[in-house]
Amino acid sequence: MSKITVGIVDYGVGNHASVRHALNDLGWRCRTSGEAAVLDACDLLLLPGVGAFRPAIEAIRARSLDTYLVEQAERNRPLLGVCLGMQLLAQASYEGGFSHGLGLVPGEVVELPPPHWHIGWNTIDQVQTDPLFRASDGQAFYFNHSYAYRGPIEFQICRTTAGEEFASAIRKGRIVGVQFHPEKSQAAGRSLLRQLIGGLCDA
Amino acid sequence: MLKKRLVGVITVKDGWAVQSFGYRRHLPLGHPEYLAENLDRWGADEILVLSIDRTRRDLGPDLDLVRRLGGMGLSTPLSYGGGIRTVAEAGAIIQAGAERVCVDAIMRLNAPVVRGISALIGAQAVIGALPLSSVLGGLELLDYTSGRSSPLTVGDLSLFDARVVSEALIIDWRNEGYVGAFDNDLIRLFPAVDVPLIVFGGVNRATQLEKLLELERVAAVGVGNVLSYREHAVQILKRQTGGARLRPALSVGISR
Repeated sequence: MSKITVGIVDYGVGNHASVRHALNDLGWRCRTSGEAAVLDACDLLLLPGVGAFRPAIEAIRARSLDTYLVEQAERNRPLLGVCLGMQLLAQASYEGGFSHGLGLVPGEVVELPPPHWHIGWNTIDQVQTDPLFRASDGQAFYFNHSYAYRGPIEFQICRTTAGEEFASAIRKGRIVGVQFHPEKSQAAGRSLLRQLIGGLCDA
Repeated sequence: MLKKRLVGVITVKDGWAVQSFGYRRHLPLGHPEYLAENLDRWGADEILVLSIDRTRRDLGPDLDLVRRLGGMGLSTPLSYGGGIRTVAEAGAIIQAGAERVCVDAIMRLNAPVVRGISALIGAQAVIGALPLSSVLGGLELLDYTSGRSSPLTVGDLSLFDARVVSEALIIDWRNEGYVGAFDNDLIRLFPAVDVPLIVFGGVNRATQLEKLLELERVAAVGVGNVLSYREHAVQILKRQTGGARLRPALSVGISR
């Protein structure tokens, strides 16, 4: 693959400039769109997210992107979820009441234990060998969330401790989710993005 | 381990970054974008932009500024405060490129709006600013729109207790801009013990930072003016502060 094009899935929530800049700096093209025809032409789909689960999944459904993303996962296209984008990959969330997610990775999203949020820079610890995360093991990334993924250990690649341990990176085949913001994690984030996107496209 | 944060604070008035002294006197520094670019390059843990005249003049948030900052592709988390009146405005700030919003007067004027903001973007993305002073063993909260202070009440903290707002930005407004002047009584007397604190105003010396960061309830320190007058100021301050509580300073562009 000579040059990777990343499709940033635009469902009307959050700003994509930081992700786009980070990807462009790494030498990749980006298309930001909620249109299937545009996203179809991309090598990897990136599902960003800032905010609460319920309005985000409702915005995705309103644009019929839920059906689209499930179909693309069934076709084994690479998909990367970032922060809320990772949570949306799960089957359900309890944030703001119960909501179904995309169901692409078994598990659900639950509230963090006291102090109920996790804000700032924290390290990730690899709990399953995965070449995509090897170089980032022990590195600090920027987190900003109050809910976290809870699901089968087989899908958990990295864990982070904030009061209790939780999954900070998950993977099911060519679907990867990271709870932190690599695009806001300076050099460590750029390095991980390079590994994730390059690796997923080659996988 | 969750690191404590060194937050680079950019105070903005009339669209210009300013050096601020005690909420009264302001000296222009330049375009906020230049300061943000430096903080990003030097490895600040977070950038907080406070547009201090937007609420007083009922201008709403400076969305153009947030868009410009968001469009720069900063690789450092960005928070914005100033002028927020509605849920939609807070949503627009996130849409424009900030990770978090900072609310102040609206916590007292219209708590339901803050609840709506929290429901939309998540409590973790909402900071509550409290300009405080210590008076005779108690705390007073400044209403900067009127310039009057009144005793801090349980009601002033209800949104923190209800977990609508995730962190309190304790601003020592009297000592803001002065060297090593932060009043530690603001922390000692602050009654909401479970609320993580960002402390700001007169925090600028490494030894002072170190002592503040030792306090369990202090999650972050905000530093403003002192970061504007020296190349690599963030890295230098982090190195002087030392210890494992902060994320290590970036090595780029500075000799070891």
